[in-house]
Amino acid sequence: MEIRSKWKLLRFFFTNLFLFAVWVLFTADLSAFSLLAGILGSLLISALTYDIFLSEHQANLRFFLPSFWGLFKFLLFMFLELYKSSFQVLVAVITGKTNPRIVHFRTRLRSDLARATLSNAITFTPGTLTLDLNDDHLTVHWLFCNTTHTKAAGIAIKEKMEKQLGHVWL
Amino acid sequence: MLVVMQWFLLFAAFACIIRLLLGATVSDRLVALNVLAGVSLALLVLWGVKQERVLYLDVALVYDIFGFIGLLAITRFLKDRPSEGEDL
Amino acid sequence: MSIREIFALICFLIAIIFGLGGIIGLFRFRDPYSRLHAGSLCGTTCALSTFFGLLLLSSSIGMATRIVVIIVFFLISAPTGSSIVGRFIWESNDTEQTKKKKEQVL
Repeated sequence: MEIRSKWKLLRFFFTNLFLFAVWVLFTADLSAFSLLAGILGSLLISALTYDIFLSEHQANLRFFLPSFWGLFKFLLFMFLELYKSSFQVLVAVITGKTNPRIVHFRTRLRSDLARATLSNAITFTPGTLTLDLNDDHLTVHWLFCNTTHTKAAGIAIKEKMEKQLGHVWL
Repeated sequence: MLVVMQWFLLFAAFACIIRLLLGATVSDRLVALNVLAGVSLALLVLWGVKQERVLYLDVALVYDIFGFIGLLAITRFLKDRPSEGEDL
Repeated sequence: MSIREIFALICFLIAIIFGLGGIIGLFRFRDPYSRLHAGSLCGTTCALSTFFGLLLLSSSIGMATRIVVIIVFFLISAPTGSSIVGRFIWESNDTEQTKKKKEQVL
């Protein structure tokens, strides 16, 4: 029970910190009134919603605190991938050669944030589009499909990104 | 340079609107709406930079954050319809 | 023409190329999935390249920070939006197919 209440307090604190950081970023105002209003508002909102923001089973700090070097590398990789994949789609638009199909696979990532990021990243990469994310089960529409085997499709689509994301979050 | 980009984005927005009006099914219309959101966001930021007004950028920021919530509401509304809303 | 403007011009050219590709794809493909692929991916790249070009042209620090924040939120919101639309297409197709199956059974 002791550890649970401690974890609850920590979640409350992190939600509060996040909300306050967003407040300062958006108002860009460091006067006393603005800061006080931000603290009061974020206290109220985090008291109401900390359980939704960070659910209880995510009991590891690495689940939602990124390692910044890994995040930076991942973002750089994502930008490159975005331009590459747009080029591939451009070629597909001009030639008209597509082979669309829906594939399913599972992911090894454990934190909710990492899974959501993975599904967004899959939407960015060549001709793949995440349709559904259900716990660790992803449904993906693939424009240039060459296999229907679950494991092969998973390796072809997400292997590189999953490895990179594994360094950012758990 | 900014003027050329402005005309291009306007052209893209018009193409999206034509797609929106032509669209055979509701899905096609939603796709066009999704693209239109991105194009109009780019147009807002472009005008903000062109006229050197920060206020436009704030509007663009709010539109960016809450834009897709409208999309979510539309899909939720259409999903409960019995016949996918072909007559819309 | 300063070096900033040259880089901005390159960004805008990339944006125009991808935007045109996205529009052509939006009109050329037949099924909504492929249209979504072409439209959302090329549209995202077009808007992102425009933002980068405008970031290079922005005149003050406040403007630049706001554009950076817009880029960060755009990276989150754009794939989420296309995912919502894709999921809607998937579910509506799904219900049509199940309806047909039910009719066949009946």
